[in-house]
Amino acid sequence: MKVFRLVALFAFLALLCTVLLAGQNTYAAEAKKATSIDELAKMYDSTGCKGCHEAIYKEWEQSIHSRSIFGTGRTAATIKTTVAVGLMGMQYSGVKKPEDVQVKHLMMCAKCHLPQLAEATDAVAKEIVKNAYVYSDPKATDEAKDKAIVQLSKVNINCLICHQRNAITHKWVDGFPAKDTVYGFKNGEHADPAHPKMKESKIMDESILCGQCHGLGPNLELEEPTQCATLYGSHLFSYVPEGGHEKCQDCHMKKSKLGHNIQSYRDTGLGKSAVDFKVEAFGYQWRDGSRMVPQASVKVEMINRAGHAIPDG
Amino acid sequence: MPIPQQLARGDKMGRGPYEKSGILRDTSLPPNRLVIESFDIPFPAEFTKQDGKNITTILDYDMTVTVELMYEPFGTNDTDTFTWQKVTKKVSIEKGGV
Repeated sequence: MKVFRLVALFAFLALLCTVLLAGQNTYAAEAKKATSIDELAKMYDSTGCKGCHEAIYKEWEQSIHSRSIFGTGRTAATIKTTVAVGLMGMQYSGVKKPEDVQVKHLMMCAKCHLPQLAEATDAVAKEIVKNAYVYSDPKATDEAKDKAIVQLSKVNINCLICHQRNAITHKWVDGFPAKDTVYGFKNGEHADPAHPKMKESKIMDESILCGQCHGLGPNLELEEPTQCATLYGSHLFSYVPEGGHEKCQDCHMKKSKLGHNIQSYRDTGLGKSAVDFKVEAFGYQWRDGSRMVPQASVKVEMINRAGHAIPDG
Repeated sequence: MPIPQQLARGDKMGRGPYEKSGILRDTSLPPNRLVIESFDIPFPAEFTKQDGKNITTILDYDMTVTVELMYEPFGTNDTDTFTWQKVTKKVSIEKGGV
């Protein structure tokens, strides 16, 4: 009986170890949190991708994704406004000064602009806010502003966000994304020692991959809901009912030939292809009682061919 | 554009992401639907009276109309705008007539 108990105990421990080891490498099991922007950047370092995927990497560097919490400067400024006008103005936010900002507060922005902030301590949230304040301060020196831009640009939506962290939406069906794996269209080995495995993501060419950030409307899962993009909602509830069936990637990456330099309104080629535009004009004289009024009648016909309403906001 | 509702209540527009929740009105171009905009532009003319009759003196019989479709991220056309389409048309008024 004792032998049986011992065997059973070993079997249980072996099973426990197997389960723990199997889960050790996934996001679900992630325990260590980054304590600085530099540490978070290291956790999500995608520079190793450049060696083999140089052209794609260079495309991505041109995109706003590569500086997602700085943007064109407007994003960094809006982070500051969100703290100064938003959070500090809310009676129950717990934020009385910029130093009070925690990860949970900054997730208002970071849910999309830096989802990996969920794997960082409050110190990182404070560091981001501090740099956003420096960048937005009209009294700050150019040198201080440049340093803030550099720091804010270290963390972004890079290869490891779309091809790993956010590559699986339905985790109970498809499993949790693993830290040693990159997700794309193939299964097999991957040459990068940091990511030696390659697996198929079921959503890599589906709109929902982009929809995770590009918005259904209010983010109701937050204690204090925010709203930025509403594009994915427009795609689902306006474009699809009109018979549309193309995916985000079809226009923003493939047809536009932008690849990983994913752009929107700033790319005039994409803008031009988004709207059929026809103008007709003729002159005539309107008779206002006994007075002739010469005028031009201009008719503009537009059909938005994008997979969502234009503009968004 | 979708005009965001402030804190998902009332009739006020919200501006920052921290206060936007919901949509009050949407003036965007909807996908795959024809939208027509019409404009009447007066020609330069002088209106006088002679012997009790209204006289219209057309100062220029030709007009060049340029229509631009612009994306304005800030909602104004003086900063950081992107021109997607630009069409120019010549419009004329007949000379003479009854």
